[in-house]
This record gives sequence, C-alpha cells and structure tokens, in this order.
Amino acid sequence: MHAFDSQLPSRRAFLRRSGQLALTGTALPFVLNLAAIGEAAAFNAPAGDYKALVCVFMFGGNDYANTVIPYDDTSYNKYSTIRGGGAGQTAGGIALAKAALTPTLLAPTTAPLDVLNQPRQYALHPAMTGLAGLFNAGKAAVQLNVGPLVQPLTRTQYNGSRSVYPRPPQLFSHNDQQSIWQSSSPEGSKVGWGGNINDKVLTQSLNTNSLFTGISVSGNAVFLSGVSALQYQVSTGGAIKIRPATDASVYGSTAVPAALKALVSQAAGSQKLENEYNAVTRRALDAELLISNALQQTDPARGGTALATVFGTDSLSQQLKMVARLIKGRNVLGARRQVFFVSIGGFDLHDNLIAQHPAILGRVSDAMTQFYEATAEASMGVANQVTTFTASDFGRTLASNGDGSDHGWGSHHFVVGGAVKGKAFYGTPPPLNVTDGTGNPRVYTAEEQWHVGQGRLLPSTSVDQYAGTMAKWFGVDPVTELPGILPNIVNFGSEAGRADYPRDLGFML
Amino acid sequence: MAGSTVIVSTAGYSFLTISSDEQASRFLQQAQFAATDADIASVRNLGYARWLEAQMATAYTTGWDWLNIQGYGDVQSASNYYDSTAQADYMVWNQLMTAPDPLRKRVALALSEFFVVSLTGVSATWPSHIMASYWDTLCKHALGNYRDLLEAITLNVGMGYYLNTKGNLKESGSGSSARQPDENYAREVMQLFTVGLDMLNPDGTPQLDGSSHRIDTYGPGDVSNLARVFTGYDLDQSQNAPTTIAQTGGGTRVVPSTDFARLPLKQVGNNHSTLDATLLGNAGVTGPAGVTIAANTPAAAALKTALDTLFNHPNTAPFFCKQMIQRLVTSNPSPAYVQRVAAKFINNGANVRGDLAQVFSAILLDDEARDPAGLTAPEFGKLREPVVRLVQWVRTFGVTSTSGAWKIGDLSDPGSRLGQSPLRSPSVFNFFRPGYVPANTALTAGKVAPEFQLVNESSVGGYLNYMMGVIGNGVGNTASDIKATYASEVALATSPTAANPSALVQRLNLLLCAGQLSPATVSAITAAVGSMTSATADNKRNSVCAAVLLTMAGAQYLIQK
Repeated sequence: MHAFDSQLPSRRAFLRRSGQLALTGTALPFVLNLAAIGEAAAFNAPAGDYKALVCVFMFGGNDYANTVIPYDDTSYNKYSTIRGGGAGQTAGGIALAKAALTPTLLAPTTAPLDVLNQPRQYALHPAMTGLAGLFNAGKAAVQLNVGPLVQPLTRTQYNGSRSVYPRPPQLFSHNDQQSIWQSSSPEGSKVGWGGNINDKVLTQSLNTNSLFTGISVSGNAVFLSGVSALQYQVSTGGAIKIRPATDASVYGSTAVPAALKALVSQAAGSQKLENEYNAVTRRALDAELLISNALQQTDPARGGTALATVFGTDSLSQQLKMVARLIKGRNVLGARRQVFFVSIGGFDLHDNLIAQHPAILGRVSDAMTQFYEATAEASMGVANQVTTFTASDFGRTLASNGDGSDHGWGSHHFVVGGAVKGKAFYGTPPPLNVTDGTGNPRVYTAEEQWHVGQGRLLPSTSVDQYAGTMAKWFGVDPVTELPGILPNIVNFGSEAGRADYPRDLGFML
Repeated sequence: MAGSTVIVSTAGYSFLTISSDEQASRFLQQAQFAATDADIASVRNLGYARWLEAQMATAYTTGWDWLNIQGYGDVQSASNYYDSTAQADYMVWNQLMTAPDPLRKRVALALSEFFVVSLTGVSATWPSHIMASYWDTLCKHALGNYRDLLEAITLNVGMGYYLNTKGNLKESGSGSSARQPDENYAREVMQLFTVGLDMLNPDGTPQLDGSSHRIDTYGPGDVSNLARVFTGYDLDQSQNAPTTIAQTGGGTRVVPSTDFARLPLKQVGNNHSTLDATLLGNAGVTGPAGVTIAANTPAAAALKTALDTLFNHPNTAPFFCKQMIQRLVTSNPSPAYVQRVAAKFINNGANVRGDLAQVFSAILLDDEARDPAGLTAPEFGKLREPVVRLVQWVRTFGVTSTSGAWKIGDLSDPGSRLGQSPLRSPSVFNFFRPGYVPANTALTAGKVAPEFQLVNESSVGGYLNYMMGVIGNGVGNTASDIKATYASEVALATSPTAANPSALVQRLNLLLCAGQLSPATVSAITAAVGSMTSATADNKRNSVCAAVLLTMAGAQYLIQK
C-alpha cells in the first residue's frame, strides 16, 4: 500500500525536492510549486481549519485581449485598430463592439494605471456576466499580464543572451507551457506546484488520508503531482467502482472477481511498467469506497441532501460540482488542505475566435460563479476557505491573423473566493501595442517594452508570484518554505532587490 | 488500393530465426494488432522479412469507399450524413478490425498519433468523409515515402481545417493595424511533424550547449516566416456538384458534393504571401544554415522548398523514428536502436531518404525488438493502447459484425469506455506525449511511459468494466451484432476432461500475450476458471469469457514486452 503511507518526514521530502531542483536547473519554478503549496500550507494550519485551492485550466491558450477588454476610449480605440474593429467602436475583425461591453464593465475600487500612468478601464467579455458580477461584488480579482518568468525581464534582455537573461524554455509551445504553468518545467515534468504544496500537507499529517490531498476531476495533470503527494483522479460521476473486482459474481462465478482483484492489485514484481499500472489500479480499488461515502452526503438517492446550487450540464460545471461535493465530504476523506484541478479545452482559437470564444468563456464564467455560490450556500459555508483561480498555456497575440490570434506568453487571470481582495486589479495594464521599436540594436518605447512581437505580452508578473501569493494564504511560510516550492521566487521581491516584483501580490486577505 | 512491392533487407539482424509460436506471436503483436493461429503459422512459414513483404503487397479497401458502400455518401438521406461524425468512427473501427493488411493499418494508426487530425476538431460539412480522406492518406503513404506523406498531409483537407491552413490569408496592412498569417500549421509542422523543439544527435538524444542546456531547433521568427508559406490555401471545389436540400423546419441548404474532401487544398484567390521567408535560420543556434525563400516565389515552389528543408533537416529522422519505435515496440528504445532506424530513414540502402517501408521493417527486425532479453528487462516494452486492446480482442477471436455495419462509436469516455478512440485525440498533441512521465513513478530517472498519460484511477476501472461487458456481450451500438463466439476456445473448455482450463489459458497466453504471462498468473487464472461449472454450452462460454477477461485485465498482458 505504498500509495497510502507515503508520508515522508518533511526533512527528507525537502532534501529530495532540493535534489531535483538542482538537477533541473533554474527553469523549474511554477508547477513544482503548487504541489508543494499544499504540503507546506498544512504545516501552519490550526486545528479544525480547512482550505482548498482550485485550479481552472483553460487548455489551448486563452485570448487575453478579448477576455479582459480595454474600455476607456483611448485604450479601446487602440485595441480596435489593432484587432480590425469597425468604425464608430463597432465590432469588426476580431474586435468586440464597445457597446456590447457595457453590461460587463468592471468597477474596481481604484482604477489601475498603465505604463503611461493613465487610468485604465476594463470590461469582461460579454459572455462573462457571472465573473463580472463577482468582481464588482468584491469576490473576484484580475491579475494582469502574468506568465512564466525565470527572473524579471525587459524586451531588450529578452533579445539578449539566454545565459545572461534566462527565460522559460519552449515559450509559445502548448504542451510545454501547460507543463511550465503547472510545474515550471516543460513536458516530462513529474512534479507540480499543487503537488508540492500537497507534499507539505503530507509532512504535517494534516490529512488523515494522503491520497485525497490533490484531486483532479480532469485528466492526469502534472500540477497535482508532488514528490510524495499523489494526484487522485475522479470522474464527474465520482469514483469508478471496478465491477469485475467487486461484484459478487462475474460470468456466474464468485471465484472470478476474487481472482481478478488479486491479479490487478498484485504487489511489485520486477517489471517496472507493470508495477506502475498496478499501483494505479490498487489506489482506485482502495479509494472508491471512501469517495463514495464522502459523496453520499450530497446524493439524495442515498439519503443525502443535494447542493442547492444548480450547476450547468457542461463538463467544466460538472467538474466543479464534483469538487464542491468532495469539499462537502471533506471530513469523511480526512482532508484539511486540498488542491483541486479542473479544466476546459477549446481555447486554441487560431480561427473562429469571434464565433467560438463566447461559449467557452461563458462556461468558465458560469461554472466559476456557480462554484462560488455553492461554497457560499448555507450547507457549505466555506466561501472564505476556498480560492479558485484560472491558468492557461499562454496568452495570445494582440495582432489578428484574420479571424483569430496566435500563441503568446503573458495573459490575464482570475482569482475568485471570499478570501480574495476583490473588486480590484493586480499588476500593470499592458500597453495596446504591436510595433517592434526602431534602430539597431532595437530601441523600444515604453509601450513597445511589454510585448515581444505582435502583442505577445512580456509578463510583468511571474507565475511564481501568482502561485506564491496563494501559497502564502494557504499557509506556506513565504521565507522558509516558498523557495522550496517555487524555486524561481528567489529572483523576485525586495529580498532579491526587486520590490517592483513583490512575492506577495496582495490579492489574498 | 494496391499494396506496394518491397524487398526487405535482413542484413545485420541477429534474431531472425523463429523457434517458437511465442516468438511469432510477439512479433505479430508489435507489427499489427493480433496473432491468430493462421498469422502465427504464416510468420513461421515465411519468416519475418518475407511476411512483411507479403503484408506490404496486400491490396485493401479505402475508408472512403467503405463509407460510400455503406450509403453514407447519400446527400438525400434523412440522417444528414453531411453533418455527422459517427460514420467516421464506424469507418475507422472497421478498417482497424477487418482490413486484410493489418500491418499497414497498425502503422497508419501510429502515424495518426504523430500527424494528428481529430474528429473532435473538424467543424465542416462531410466531416466523416474528410476524416476518411485523412485516414486513407495515412494508409496510402504509410509504407511509402515520408516526404510524400508530409506534403499530402500538409494539403489534406482535414489537416487544413484542424490546423487552419484552409483559409489562411497573407499579411496585410502595416503598423498597428497589420494582420499576420495564421501560425498554427507552421508551428506544429515543425514542433510535432518534423524537426521538434530541440536539436538532436543522430541517436535522438538532445544536443547540449556549453552550459548543458538544450538547443532550440527554431525560434519565433522561424514560425512567423514559415507561416507565410502556408497562406493562400483553400478548398478545391472545382469538382463540386452541389445539392439543394430542404431543411426540417423550412428553408433549404446547399450541400457540396463530397469531392472537395479528398482533393488537396489549393491556392484560391490572391492570398499567398508575397514576402520572403527564412526557414530554420532564426533561432540563432548551431543548426544547419537557414534557407531563404525569395519574395514573390510562387506558392508551389515555396511549399516544395519549405517541406524539403524540414524533410532534410538532421533532426527529422531521429525525431520521427524514435516515436514510431515507441508506438510499436518500446517506450524507451536505446539511443543505438534509434540511430539504427534513423540511418534507414536517411538512406534505405539505395540512396533514398524517407523510405517508410524500410524504416518500419527496421523497427520490427531490430535486435532490440527481437532479442528475448526484452522479456525479462525491468523497463522494456510499453503499455498497450486501449484502442489496440479492443482491436486485438476482435481480431484474435475472429469477431465479426453480423450486420456488416460495424457500428462502434466514440469510446473516449475514460469512466465508462476505453478512454481512447481512434482519430479522436483531444488535441494535436495526441492522446499522450512521447515524453510523458507518470507521477510519483518508480521508473529510472529519464525513462518515459507515454501511454500512461491515459492511466488514472478512473480509466483503469472504466476499461475493466467496459471489457467485462464487451467480452461477454459484444461491442457496438447494436446488441449482439459484434459478439464473440469463441468457438476454438469453447472447444478447449470442453476437451478431454469436464473442463480443461489449463489448455484454454495457455492458448490465451500465446494469442493475447505472446506467452508473457508468468506461470503464477497462468495458475491463478486456471484455478479461477477451473472452479467454474461447464455443464451447459452457456457455462462453457462463461468459462472462456472469464479466462479472456482475467487475461486482459492483468499488468502482464497490459505491458507488451
């Protein structure tokens, strides 16, 4: 049962992680670190306390510029020009009409200032009424222009030597940037920051069953894999009961299920791939009953009470509903710190951006809103203990390719929950610019500084800062533990002489 | 379609002698989907190389023709086939399960996981015909030349929809209102279909710079430049014979004939970039010198130069060959194995580059694939893909569709079906990545297990539950249409004693596992099956079902060595 007693002493876990980091170099920061956040957080948690982080991953690379849209006339007009909008602020090309944005205009307590020191107004995509409402109600915040960085970087430095000015590997590549967002390391990464956090939870023995510290309702995600923490995967219908191993009789025989159960959970032999497979099956067999019991509380068919919140029937809504139900059953699972992973695909809109973006952004907005409402409903009462945030492969170009946009880098993201200092923007509004400077070597204006061509945003906030801010809320010690979770964080913050890139972005209470 | 006449060289291979049925079965399970009694006899009779040649020469029916034979090209059908993807599922399952040339189909399946187009990403009229055309393109060139395959795939309509070459417009405007070509195909043709992200050694290992960092093969500028080459393409509707169809609820719709779906994309209008394009010269690294396509080069000439450049890049042979070895033989081939196969790609022995018949022969005949040492090595082999397991079950037991319709649909749901369905990858990055490493793995550092990206606490149970039903009751949308009789196996279950589970289990071990079940596993299955009654015909069939399920459930079967 190695899956269940993987609670390594914290010292040893730390040493193992440090060893890994040394091997992988400096480019590892983000994913490693969610995993570690859970692990570290639990450490400082008072008895009876519960917190959860929920990552909503938008696969394909979300188009930031049509998600959080500049609204003040000066900014909107630049956006419209670049994206081919129509005359009189009407829709055109891949630009949305300004009038369509009014219902989702965001009303922050303080308007953010752009790099020219001008106040910027933003609206959300018209399909995102739910998140706009949560923002204006103070339950959601927007982190502007965040993306993977090894260290603070200017556009000139980006053009320079990578050994002097290191940057994340394989920028603009889907699979690698998904991995880097989740784990700070490209494809093949084994440990994510969700899992790293969970490693910390495990070392504290906060959760009586270590398997349920990191749960994916999507597929396998490196985000949740720690050095010792496991990702447990559950379907939107709950845990899958393995019938041929658990039914009383199979093909009329009682001997078959017993034999099958023994076969599929055989202990380690010499063939390592076989062992890998059986380890998963063994976990599935062991966990199913516990998950089932945890879900019983919200299953009317088994005497429970359904959540009052009505979730959509789409996959993301159903994934988040499952997360809500698992949180409701957390005491059965013995969990006090949990990190969840859910996802939605379809964001790689090189084509048909205007036609296809609304449906998927609407789903993100609706599902996250419903999920927030579920955490706040009387039977749950955990709105202040659950923080949900978005992530994606990368942002996209601001420039148009005709009816879509191409792979970029920095993007805007949402943080939702009762513990979020909402009704506010964090970070700096990126300029609306696609030009490439003048002269040789290139000289860039203040606006040209913040993209690396065609409006691919050069992040002004790193994923490590973004993750680190949530990790601190989760209970990770920012000084002693965070560098073990987010290795590149040491290049940021006043401790690194970069107070302009703070380790705590301030969006959590 | 006719097969191809190929002479497979056996020079330099050490394990060509076949001394057991298990060896033949092992080879067959790598080279195709299943090992029947007849297949095993054929391999033992012909030897590996002659068997490969016979397979390559076998004629076959295209997926396109099958769709039309089934009536799915009928534009007047009330089923609106021109808007439906289900027929493509039936088509590809039929091809995988019944085609007379399973080697070609197994290779095509591997290619469909490299040059990915997915049914879930083709929003077009006649999507099933588009996917049949894509599948047929893979089959046509699977044992032909990689350069031909690359061009055919680039201009394939399905790929055109999937990665946006269809309708890709040249640059226009300047300054703040500039529009750029769509970069999707340009990026993925380099990252996934030819050269990959990192500069490689001839054995597929990454080159490292002085600081031990990997070296980029190309930079963002290469993507933007190459994107210009793929502008101006759109559907070829020159053969279109449209039909006006009355729509339910009123109105009419003009539906094009299926012809466009199998014609290559062509230049339509004046939409091809007029700018020059420098390829593989923008990363500032130590790769081969960049190639510049001059401004105003005609589209066809630009495409030729671009694809030649990618085809001839030193990365392409090891990048492609390593992944094909992973699909057919082992997740972690030695660098020497990769290099031997890549050498065949570079030169087939007659100074031809990209000869896929020789590449796939080299993968299957290589000492590393054939050496019995792999059977006991702790990390040799790969997880059988769920799709391959189901096809293997159909072919091993001679299962057929009584109606001939082969209505097996989308089996992608991991909780209740296989968690994988052919031609339905969730993205261009395939069902699994070649570099995937399972979480918390006990594998040696640096080892990968791509197919494990499909393995989690839901999918392991989903597979077992699904197969329990399939093995007993059959597969597909129509009850009992595609159901196994297990005639040969039931005969064993009745011979000479009341039940003879030992002979039955030994047979399944040979056919399904190439003898790779341990004696302990054989004993465990035999004991369980032996405890079952065999009084009636139903009892006997149940015994066989139990033996098949127990065999296909275990890790010794799932990991193909």
